[in-house]
Amino acid sequence: MRRWTKGMRDAFFDSLFSLAVKDKNLLLLTSDTGAICHDNFREELSAQYMNVGIAEQNMIGVASGLALSGKKIYVYGIVPFVTMRCYEQIRIDLCCMDLNVTIVSIGAGLDYSTLGPTHHGYEDISLMRSLPPMKIYSPSDSLIADFICRNSYKEKGPKYIRLDRTGFPLLYKRQEDIKFARGFSLLKEGKDVCIIATGRIVYNALQAAKKLSEFGIDSGVIDIFRIKPINAGGLWEAVRKNKVVVVLEEHFLHGGLGSAVSEIISQKPCAPLLKLLGISDFCNEYGNRKQLQALNSLDPLTVAHQIKDIFKNGKK
Amino acid sequence: MKKVAISYLEKKSRYIRRQIIDITMKAGSGHIAPSFSCVEILTFLYYAATLRFNPKKPNWSKRDRFILSKGHAAIALYVVLADLGFFPCSYLKNFIQQGGCLCAHPENHIAGVEAYSGSLGHGLSIAAGLALASKMDNKDYISTVLLGDGECHEGAVWEAAMFSSQHKLNNLIAIIDYNGASAIDFLPKYLTIEPLEEKWKAFGWEVITIDGHSFRELKRALSGIRNRSSDKPLLVIALTVKGKGVSFMENNPIWHYRIPTEKEFNIINKELRYGKF
Repeated sequence: MRRWTKGMRDAFFDSLFSLAVKDKNLLLLTSDTGAICHDNFREELSAQYMNVGIAEQNMIGVASGLALSGKKIYVYGIVPFVTMRCYEQIRIDLCCMDLNVTIVSIGAGLDYSTLGPTHHGYEDISLMRSLPPMKIYSPSDSLIADFICRNSYKEKGPKYIRLDRTGFPLLYKRQEDIKFARGFSLLKEGKDVCIIATGRIVYNALQAAKKLSEFGIDSGVIDIFRIKPINAGGLWEAVRKNKVVVVLEEHFLHGGLGSAVSEIISQKPCAPLLKLLGISDFCNEYGNRKQLQALNSLDPLTVAHQIKDIFKNGKK
Repeated sequence: MKKVAISYLEKKSRYIRRQIIDITMKAGSGHIAPSFSCVEILTFLYYAATLRFNPKKPNWSKRDRFILSKGHAAIALYVVLADLGFFPCSYLKNFIQQGGCLCAHPENHIAGVEAYSGSLGHGLSIAAGLALASKMDNKDYISTVLLGDGECHEGAVWEAAMFSSQHKLNNLIAIIDYNGASAIDFLPKYLTIEPLEEKWKAFGWEVITIDGHSFRELKRALSGIRNRSSDKPLLVIALTVKGKGVSFMENNPIWHYRIPTEKEFNIINKELRYGKF
């Protein structure tokens, strides 16, 4: 079995590099991001790599021109810059024309904690979810980042892959257990509560579930690694027997994974009680990621206490 | 480049303007004046053997790529494409109608249209990507793009301008339809783009300024675009008149998106029949 010693970002780009070695049609464009993780592209595949400069709108436009010419394009940048700065180019050039361009972003949620709201990524899922053909992937550790890279490579059309710099500790034991087409994994079973999460904060969900067991609450954890198209049928089957469903995300409460899950559960009769935990406003306070998570009540202990209160007081 | 009589190009230009009026009158909507200002440019690109294309094989891999970045002039392009046989002329009758095939702005499912446009500032980047792919694949097709002058207000245009010269895309030809007016006003009155020639030169482009309604001038600028000795991308600043061909439309920004009354329509008929254009 392969040993995972790299963060999510490096695992993803190592995987992409292996694909690019075999596929000369694959090009990676970056808007001056990727100092070390692109070293192998720069040194060994320079003809398939281009730093287009700090010009995200042009990067998407150039990517679409290359994709219209039959190239398979990956573009890379920090979450807000590669999603919001060039949103209209993504909407028209990539989505209206349904082109084979994959947007890879770094800095999901509060990953760039100390850099402040300019570098935080808490609107991207909402933005990408509103574009009809856009697929959205959100890995939670290094192992599944590599898995998503290799499997989504075969898919056509525009994609958005939301990465984190961290990828440890691993949440998955082996890739053979992941069902790509299913779009989510049940990482822990539980009959009382189901915590649905995406990205690196799935780790907090698992920690919170451990704490909840101390409170006598049996909690399951689901990792949604494909947010769009979301597997509505499979997800409903997985959660419908729980009393409470909690969505935990490092994203604004509006339009993210919580909204996606609400769109499924709100249309079902006799649905479990649904609670959304996320970020409600720009994080203007300073601190590292753990501290910012705590300020937003997203740390494992506070999450566990919130869920306990909901379970004890709010159950149907 | 094949020799084509100027009288033939003038005849085609008259036909295109006539069709633009008929289509917009029938549809009750359309951008007449910004279409009129680029009629000679489109005529020269498509009827003077400037671009390489095959209407029977719109996706022919060796075709030159053309993007109408000022997508609001779509009607002019549709008339040309239909006349050349990319799609039936009957499509023009159903412009923007339910069940029709032609949108007010270009969409790339239409034969002969390379990319969506209509939101300004996108076309040059896409054209640069097409030109780059041509070079990467050792192909000889060129990439051409027609921009509006007001479109140069968009920052993305300058991102693409920098990129194109950096990568020596001498197979990229941009033309600016410089009619001096945008949707509601004249450019110098609210946000000038001058000195335009100097700006593009400073961004690493070769620049030629011409009269965009003169076929002789268009020939001077565009006849050698397939085998250019310069390694710079080429910008043609085509000085034009918005609404060219109809006296009361010329240089009047209100005609950016206005449909003539019946009385005005009668005057247009006379001027297009007997006028120079």
